[in-house]
Amino acid sequence: MAAAAEVGCSLKLASLLLFSALSAHATTFCVTIAGLGGEPEYEQRFATWAKEIDQTLKGAGPDVKSETLSGPDATRARFRAALESIAKEAKPQDSLVVMMIGHGSFDNVDYKINLPGPDVSATELAALLDRIPAGRQLVVNMTSASGGSVHALQKPNRTVITATRTGSEKNATVFARYWVEALRDAAADTDKNEVITALEAFKYAELKTKQFYETQKRLSTEHAALDGGNQQGPLLAARFSLLRIGSIQNAAKDPAKQALLAKREQLEAQIDQLKFQKAATPTDEYKKRISALLLELARTQAELDK
Amino acid sequence: MRFVWIIAIAVPLFAQTAEECQKHEHYGRRSEARQCFEKLTGSANSATKAEGFWGLRQFKEANNAFRLAVATAPKNASYRVRWGRLLLDRFNAKDAADLFQEAVELDPKNAQAALGLALVASDGFDSKAVGMANKALELDPKLTEAQELLASLALEDNTPEKAIAEAEKALKMSPESFDGMAILGTIDLLRDKKSTPWFDAILKINPVYGEGYAIAGKFFVLNRRYVEGIEYYRKAIALSPDDSASRAQLGVNLMRLGEEKEGREQLMKCFDEGFRNALVTNSLTLMDSYKNFLTFKTENTIVKVHKKEADLIHPYVEAELKRAIATYEKKYKMKLPGPVQVEVYPDHEDFAVRTMGMPGLGALGVTFGNVVAMDSPSGRRPGTFHWASTLWHELSHVYVLSATKHRVPRWFTEGLAVHEETAAAPDWGDRLDPEAIRAIKEKKLLPIATLDRGFIRPTYPTQVVVSYFQAGRICDYIAKTWSYDKLLDMMHDFAQNTTTSEVVEKELGMKPEEFDKKFIAWLEAQTKSTVDGFDDWKKKIRLLTESAKSGPPDVVIRAGLLIRDVYPDYVETGSVYELLYDAYLAKGDKPNAMAQLEKYSAVGGRSSTLIKKLAALQEEAGKKKEAAASLERLNYIYPFDEELHRRLGGLWLDQGNTKGAVAEFSAVIASKPLDQATSHFNLARALKSDNRTEDAKEQLLLALEAAPGYKPAQHLLLEMSGK
Repeated sequence: MAAAAEVGCSLKLASLLLFSALSAHATTFCVTIAGLGGEPEYEQRFATWAKEIDQTLKGAGPDVKSETLSGPDATRARFRAALESIAKEAKPQDSLVVMMIGHGSFDNVDYKINLPGPDVSATELAALLDRIPAGRQLVVNMTSASGGSVHALQKPNRTVITATRTGSEKNATVFARYWVEALRDAAADTDKNEVITALEAFKYAELKTKQFYETQKRLSTEHAALDGGNQQGPLLAARFSLLRIGSIQNAAKDPAKQALLAKREQLEAQIDQLKFQKAATPTDEYKKRISALLLELARTQAELDK
Repeated sequence: MRFVWIIAIAVPLFAQTAEECQKHEHYGRRSEARQCFEKLTGSANSATKAEGFWGLRQFKEANNAFRLAVATAPKNASYRVRWGRLLLDRFNAKDAADLFQEAVELDPKNAQAALGLALVASDGFDSKAVGMANKALELDPKLTEAQELLASLALEDNTPEKAIAEAEKALKMSPESFDGMAILGTIDLLRDKKSTPWFDAILKINPVYGEGYAIAGKFFVLNRRYVEGIEYYRKAIALSPDDSASRAQLGVNLMRLGEEKEGREQLMKCFDEGFRNALVTNSLTLMDSYKNFLTFKTENTIVKVHKKEADLIHPYVEAELKRAIATYEKKYKMKLPGPVQVEVYPDHEDFAVRTMGMPGLGALGVTFGNVVAMDSPSGRRPGTFHWASTLWHELSHVYVLSATKHRVPRWFTEGLAVHEETAAAPDWGDRLDPEAIRAIKEKKLLPIATLDRGFIRPTYPTQVVVSYFQAGRICDYIAKTWSYDKLLDMMHDFAQNTTTSEVVEKELGMKPEEFDKKFIAWLEAQTKSTVDGFDDWKKKIRLLTESAKSGPPDVVIRAGLLIRDVYPDYVETGSVYELLYDAYLAKGDKPNAMAQLEKYSAVGGRSSTLIKKLAALQEEAGKKKEAAASLERLNYIYPFDEELHRRLGGLWLDQGNTKGAVAEFSAVIASKPLDQATSHFNLARALKSDNRTEDAKEQLLLALEAAPGYKPAQHLLLEMSGK
């Protein structure tokens, strides 16, 4: 982000680099599906969200392979084919992101996303995902009743985000609208490290969804969840880099700057440690120490950016 | 409990005894009355037994006994009437009304049943009360209580001459009509007469009858003379310490004036004594919630806001309150004797407790002396409530009530307050709405001399709203045709306890009837095109809305432009402005799209979404000053919007309005944003521009604490630290 005046309201557009955290050769496979709307209003809404995600992904760089299915294309066969194709191509160092938009249902046994023709259940989807060797997986199920899919989809290397906490929250959701926004709004990158993680995007969409119901004076009919509320969920999601922005990678490629990078990492670790001890540290002392560390970090970063 | 002669409900042995009990009460012989009621409880007749328990204030037992009486004699209308009266006394108007209605069905000539229905209607300030009371009198011309009710209703309608005539009729029917005497005494007191014989006359008959003063208290409160109302309620309970209804009113009115400690004590006493109507319990619940409010005091303001939104809303409310006070001091040419207290409730139900039992008060704000209670914008959907307009409205009441010592008709203080809303800013205040159009068209506006009735006892559902509109336009008309100072002259006349008719004649030089004709002619001329075209406009906007869903933009634009100015004040959802904006935008014609929204905003459109779209178009067109002005309007409508403050802060900073930028970026922080780093950083930039270097550094550190690697903040830190 160059100009200070743009901070906070600019969109992350052409400079987006997606999912390139693990290695220069890792690929991120994305599948976005927008199911049946049932009514013209929902058809249009779901298709628009899917299209916006698609646009973001298309601008995300060469390491991203994306397929978006909406309208009549969003069939079970096409969805399965897309995932089966990835299963053949993906490697353990790769990442996989599946984003689901639409209406879902839950019969207390299994969850299904409503698609033209036969639906796809959570159990079926889990089986398809299990065949994909990508070492890090993220499923963002933004449909109604999506909470009902958590149990079937959960797996140690897989983060599952759902628009609803349970399968009984059956009303149409707005979470997807804000998930799309999170992928485009610089404000979602709350720690300003030029990476939007799954956790940051989740928190952004979760807060905006909550504010939507508060502002509209409506009873909230959806409560987003990360790994069904599993305590380890946020840790995994925080490590899942969704979007990278700007020049962060450039320094890493320059051997001359390795020492500065190491110093930066050290300073960041010291800052984290001090913040962890904040409650136990006298206010004045904390302020003095954090100020010094932050200033030093700023100087180091300035050197790195030269 | 009112004194009621009980007839034909008990077996002969106890009928006389029941009447005797009531007589003892009537003459203030409490001990004898108690003994008498105790005897009644031993009656074999359930209805008589019920009367006994009721007299002893054993309400549950009385209720059970009446239930049994009705079950035993289901055709007896009088039992149902008496049971209904018990329920009415014990805060259950709905079931009481059902019982009175059942009694009427059993015995259509039952005057007491008709009276019961009149009392229920009267409690709810329903216009049917007068008709029902008259009906009761037709059925029983000797029913004094119905006549007393008519006197009371006439005084509620602010027609004291009529009230006097009705009260005198009651006294002819019964020389010991306490309520008749109390009404006459109250009118003397309201007219500031130095003495009145009527309360002494009551006390000569019943030395412990406090209810007469309670009637005075009620009418002083209805006339917004709360301090005096409180005094009369004190007198009432001094005479009748068991009169929990008066004590509850004392407590509530103390609370209204900010005397919370004693108010709470009085209400708690009612509660402890079993007097737990909605007014008492809700008021106590509200007072319990005060621990969640923060109070901010300055020399002339006290602002009370909920903790959860204090950081955000308090600066805006306080600044606007001070601006309004400064303006009104000049306009009304006076200073208030003390600070104004403004209470802002995020929960509308809490605010509603403040207006319970008060007819015709605003649904958004209410004024009690120097205390203003109002809804917080957070309690309503964005775009449905202009909080600043409400604040100015209520503050106008504070001045008018203070200047007139609360001797002012409802129509005038409301009318002037409505006038002030639009005087503060042309886009504030309410627009000409369909209800007002209909009232003008159907000639439903009231004569100025009886306009108060439209507030207190509306005869159709929207009459209160229409009366606000009419009163406001009357004040607009007077200010325009005569002068604003003429309104002040009228205000000072009202302070002398002068009637509307007298004030109109004195200040405007014409009879009220003549004024009505001239005003209506002026109003009709102003609204003619809208009123005449309204029905056609309704049809066409429906077609336009349909057309906008799928029709070509040019068709929408052509049709929209034809009807937009027929009813230019229509700025609700789906307005012509909005449809035209969409159509122009679909054509890629941003200048015209922007022009539609500019008109929408100027007329008073309040949709946050549309106004933010307008600001974006203005910014894109390089009209940053106008964009900032558009967004600033939203601060007065729905300030609970982080994006609004962020954008406005940026615009202010661009334009060198550093203080504005600091305020807006502070509001972002108060909104508890997800993006802490950017929010603190933006505030740091604004503070730096405002030469508050140390504060800026503080914010910068907060930004970096949230996001240590945040480069713009790092750059600024290095810059401010001299590298």
